[in-house]
Amino acid sequence: MTSTIPPPLVVEGLYVRYGDRPVLEGLDLTLAPGDIYGLLGPNGAGKTTLIRTICGRVRPHNGSIRIAGERGRSSLRHIGLVPQELALYPYLSVRENLEVFGRLSGLSATATEGAISWAGQATGIASRLGDRVDILSGGLKRRVNIAAAILHRPALLILDEPTVGVALDARNGVHDVVVQLSHSGMGILLATHDLDQADALCTRVGFLRHGVISPQGEPRRLVEEAFRQQKQIVLELRQPASAAQAGVLSKAGFTPTNGGYTWMMMAPLGDQSVERLEPALARLGVETREIRLREPGLESLFVELSREAEGVA
Amino acid sequence: MILVMLRVMALNVIRDRGALAMAFLLPPVIFMIFAAIFLGISGDEMRLRVALGVAEQTAQTKRLEAALRGEDTLRLLPGRENSAEAVASLVAAGEADVGLFVAGDLREAQQPLRVFVDPGKAVAGAMLSGQVQRVLGHSLPEIGLGRTAPLVESLVGGFTPGQAAQLSAALDAIAEGETAEAADGELVGIETVGAPSGSSVIVTYYAGAIAILFLLFSGMQGAATLIEERHAGILDRLAVGPSGTDVVVLGKFLCLILQGVLQVSLIFLIAALVYGVSVVTRLGPWILTTLAAAAAAAGLGLAVASACTTKQQAQTISTFVVLVCSAIGGSMVPRFMMPPWMQDIGWYTPNAWAIEAYHGALWRSDALTALLPQLAWLTTMGLGGVLLALFVSRLRLRLS
Repeated sequence: MTSTIPPPLVVEGLYVRYGDRPVLEGLDLTLAPGDIYGLLGPNGAGKTTLIRTICGRVRPHNGSIRIAGERGRSSLRHIGLVPQELALYPYLSVRENLEVFGRLSGLSATATEGAISWAGQATGIASRLGDRVDILSGGLKRRVNIAAAILHRPALLILDEPTVGVALDARNGVHDVVVQLSHSGMGILLATHDLDQADALCTRVGFLRHGVISPQGEPRRLVEEAFRQQKQIVLELRQPASAAQAGVLSKAGFTPTNGGYTWMMMAPLGDQSVERLEPALARLGVETREIRLREPGLESLFVELSREAEGVA
Repeated sequence: MILVMLRVMALNVIRDRGALAMAFLLPPVIFMIFAAIFLGISGDEMRLRVALGVAEQTAQTKRLEAALRGEDTLRLLPGRENSAEAVASLVAAGEADVGLFVAGDLREAQQPLRVFVDPGKAVAGAMLSGQVQRVLGHSLPEIGLGRTAPLVESLVGGFTPGQAAQLSAALDAIAEGETAEAADGELVGIETVGAPSGSSVIVTYYAGAIAILFLLFSGMQGAATLIEERHAGILDRLAVGPSGTDVVVLGKFLCLILQGVLQVSLIFLIAALVYGVSVVTRLGPWILTTLAAAAAAAGLGLAVASACTTKQQAQTISTFVVLVCSAIGGSMVPRFMMPPWMQDIGWYTPNAWAIEAYHGALWRSDALTALLPQLAWLTTMGLGGVLLALFVSRLRLRLS
């Protein structure tokens, strides 16, 4: 049976240039209702440009964008945008803020009242509607930021780094809200640098590189395809490796992150070399805090893809 | 430690090019404006606009007119009125700073020269009176002598027919070019024009002048919230809504007008209660003027806020715009005291039009049709500003 609900977002063959510089080069992206799509990529890859183009603020040179089956200016009413900043009036109460954004999203006064009640429940802020925004905690502000974007029940919800600077428990609260909203049928496009967040939350992720999204798919499947039958060896050092030590580690296939404190490499499943690693590192004078073997995740994939982008063999 | 902070602050100032330019551009520009104004007040550059009327043309009045038109310190309006009422109405309408009517024979009539002055420009009457007597003494000295001759005659017990004939011939000779000592007489009388009122014209003038000054300040400050909303991402959020960002600009425009009307109401409430400025009897024109002035200030504020990238930039440019407009537009010093070139520039500021409109509405009791030019200019400035703000705000969403 074919679903009658149009996909929240269909981007086909999107080309965007800033002057002579190509940013998006034939990008394709489709979100189904209920999808939570993690848009990943290094800084400057074009994530913000893609979001701006979807929101009608950048005119593409070629390609098409359909939101809930519609094109052009009228399609924008199906978008709810949660900017990275707290796009709220701090001196107004939560309810007053939601009234403002409800009316400006085209709802009548009566419909706005109903929408505030629904959005308050959906984001878990129903009991704080009377509080001024500037006295709320960071996590609650983030939830209000989301509530203000969903009052008109958009088909597509775009979140740009929704948990930057938020404590871990508050971040989990925001994750719950996003999952709940996806269950209501919204397509959710999540631009993030937080790979753990993308791993835990997203039904699909895509890496934006060289103007296109590739690879893309379910996080687990992408990782399995990239690192079939491989485990990741992670070294946590007590001090950053010296130049000589770094040279040896790099030659052995390790890649540094976290300012040289953490080194990672992929190893075939069942490789016994990890057992010989500790004495070898001791001989090299490298003080290790921890050596562990783990399942590779999105972070491993991201590092691998970044290395490829930089031309590292 | 202190030097470290000094360095940080100095680097901040040096690297914020806009703030740097304003910090070092604003003081000399403001100084030059005030120097020009006060040079004018000291008399070096002040050139009064004078309406001239003559009851009956004679050789003397022609010579007087020619001498006055040759005076660098005066700007006689083109043409010549033939009644005192016409001269007075030109002064009352603000088309001339001061008026001069030659009512009778310069040698014999009692106060043949009548100076008409707006009470708000009292100093202009005294200045013209002095200038006219100087011109008479220099260019028509026989007038002064002729007017003092009867006094001399009564003091010496009467001239003989020979002396009287000699005096007459001497006066004629002086009139034809020979010089003589200047003399004063009861030549000039000063009269004020405008509707009789219990209030001070100065209070009426400055109520309008201060009103537009504060309208500009609050308009600029209120409009700067546009920049905060842009940085907070509120405009990004609204850009995908059906209303777009236009509603933000237009909503602020209306709110600033409302806020401005309330502010100005307080100023004029005090003017009416404490100084007897007749606001209540002229409520309609006052409301229209206030709405138009508030719209002009709001439009200008929004245009500046939309053009500025940061709040600091907006603050610096706002200060510059408000100070310069208020100085040139007459909120600080009456415009008739400024050099003519500065008076001309003044018409590009909302202050000049707002002050003129309030003066017309409350002091001259102008009909609405007479206020239309001022109201139209202020409204056009307001609408022009808000249209610019709408355009720039849309452009920013595309470019940001």
